[in-house]
Amino acid sequence: MSAGAKKRIMKEYGECMKDTPSGMKINFDEQNMTEWEILLDGPEQSIYSGGHFKLKMTFPTEYPFKPPVVSFKTKIYHPNVSNDDKGSMCLGMLRPDEWKPPNKVVSVLRLIQTLLIEPNADDAIEPSIANEYKENRKEFDKTAKDWVKRYAK
Amino acid sequence: MSRPSVLTHNYHSYPQPGFDSIVHTGLSYRPLPIRAPELSAGYNQQHTGHHGRISTVRMSGPAYMASDEELANLQKLSSEYQPEVTGPLVGERQSSSAIATEYANADPIYRVKTAALPSNYAYFRTCRGDGHCGWRAIAFTYFEALLRVADVNKLEDEEARLQSMHNLLNAAGFPEHVYIDFVDEAFGLLQKLSASLRAMDGAGPETLLQTFNDPSTAMAIITYLKLLASAWMQSNPNDFAPFLEFNQDLKSYCSMNIEAAQCEIDHLGIAALAEAVIKPAGFALEVLYLDRSPGEEINTYRYEPTGHDGLPLKNPQTLRLLYRPGHYDILYKAEDVAQPLQQAQPVPTQAPLHVALAGYADEFVPMSSNIPDVMTMIPGMYPTGIGQRWPSVSYDYNPNPAPQPQIAPVPTYAPAQTPATPVASSHQEYVTPVHASHVNHHNPPSHHTIQLEPPLVLPIHPPPPPPVTIDRGPQMTIERGGPFRPSMYELEPGFHSGQPHALPFQTSIFRNSHYNTAHFLNPDFQPEEWSPDSEYATGNRGRHKSASQ
Repeated sequence: MSAGAKKRIMKEYGECMKDTPSGMKINFDEQNMTEWEILLDGPEQSIYSGGHFKLKMTFPTEYPFKPPVVSFKTKIYHPNVSNDDKGSMCLGMLRPDEWKPPNKVVSVLRLIQTLLIEPNADDAIEPSIANEYKENRKEFDKTAKDWVKRYAK
Repeated sequence: MSRPSVLTHNYHSYPQPGFDSIVHTGLSYRPLPIRAPELSAGYNQQHTGHHGRISTVRMSGPAYMASDEELANLQKLSSEYQPEVTGPLVGERQSSSAIATEYANADPIYRVKTAALPSNYAYFRTCRGDGHCGWRAIAFTYFEALLRVADVNKLEDEEARLQSMHNLLNAAGFPEHVYIDFVDEAFGLLQKLSASLRAMDGAGPETLLQTFNDPSTAMAIITYLKLLASAWMQSNPNDFAPFLEFNQDLKSYCSMNIEAAQCEIDHLGIAALAEAVIKPAGFALEVLYLDRSPGEEINTYRYEPTGHDGLPLKNPQTLRLLYRPGHYDILYKAEDVAQPLQQAQPVPTQAPLHVALAGYADEFVPMSSNIPDVMTMIPGMYPTGIGQRWPSVSYDYNPNPAPQPQIAPVPTYAPAQTPATPVASSHQEYVTPVHASHVNHHNPPSHHTIQLEPPLVLPIHPPPPPPVTIDRGPQMTIERGGPFRPSMYELEPGFHSGQPHALPFQTSIFRNSHYNTAHFLNPDFQPEEWSPDSEYATGNRGRHKSASQ
């Protein structure tokens, strides 16, 4: 990892500390600054409210010229989070072809929060969940809440 | 026996371990009956052999069909596939005859178009085709052109000008504390280059190449230029919005096609960069489009800088790119390359000039600056005051420093030359491809070789030389004395390069007169230079055509 990337990560961390989105906590290890642990409370107005989610944000060697990688360590029933052991979230600005080097980590955190409030079913990684979200919202809400109880307490 | 040990055992006894990885990718999402529901991350990785065994059984069945999920997965793998790109981010400069050779067996359009390339563009430099090559090529050549100007003040001016463009970046909404990292890398390079110019250590080109081969620094500089281009487009919407597709909004266009980390430069990007960075620096940008469009010449587009008066600048430094569908490389004319060397020499410009004439009069080398006087002092040599021409000859050459680097090997300056040697050696490759551009005018050895070899015996010398090449003709023959002995400097490849461009008289009268070496009535006629179509339209055309094919 280049000096420039480290400098940038430190800068981003400083900014996140100053302006942490509500309901978030960042665990930053200076020895391993390329892996952030993020503790996120399910936003009040969302079906995930009450849940506590653990996320990992990994900065690639080429950061900031490649996007950070976001993955949910806590299982979550969500069309934009892969339903496997990776729990990866990859859409919008996090996509390698849409990522812009000036993008800020704070905006990434906000994007995550927004997606919990309003999933983006048109850009889903889990088509079946997205389908359920669109077609059978009741069932979706039920499963999602159920998973919060089961995995995210 | 506990489950894990059973699985491990299976793995080891599995006859074709190489096979499991193939199957595994397809089946990793398939819930397997034996798999415990609470498998933790990484668990199934450890036991690939287990999956392998199950799937082998399935695959051996007659009606094996990939499920949609597997197909989707394969599709995903295939769309994520990126060919491995190799080579340096920016390569060493090399002879562009390599390009012609590369296309020698290609389809006729490419062959015709590339055949003439090496004689016009002597060198090229590769950029790695990793999706940033166009941006990288422009960024690299921009810094290289600054280095070629070889003026510390110019570098400082550029830094100040770029600094003033922060307003533009701010107006486009880029956070300063973020883009400043990219700016710092670019300015850092500018400062290194000016330090090298100040020290006259000739390390500039090497520094530049190294910087651009350092991935993170290079990306930072590229990103900086991308942001400048984007900010420029957004602040000049009238110039760019009309080119967007129906209803596309400029800001989102910039965000997707200019600022995005993985996007190659497009036409709008080039135009924006040319307007924002290249032209204001006083540089021209030339893009040669080598594609299969009809025609015999490579289509060229040129962005011309203008001065404060709105008129095009004369002889600007030119950044040249070669575009082949999907890829950009850097091109050079022979004279582009010659200049930085000359500038790097801590030698007054006048001195090497006379040394260059050493080819004609070896014995004058040591007293280079006295040549005019010495020449006139030789009795009977310049009865008509031709000796007075010496100064004017040198003035002819001054504006075009191209031939000067050839002086490099002069022992007097040996220490200063050392950094330049690698470049000088690359001239070597240049000899063959560019032979056609030799001009006998300034080329005593080659014209002797080609035309006068048989009568090289003395009788040919006493008669006064033909009226051609008044400046040089007489001296040359007299000094040479007998069968020619080429000077080592003349053998330097590129000794004659660039000189045709020095010809101050290119009027049609001159061109069609026998004073022109490209004219067949000229005693030193050089067939390679002659293009019959440009003068007499009859007679020789057919012959020439058949000869040239």
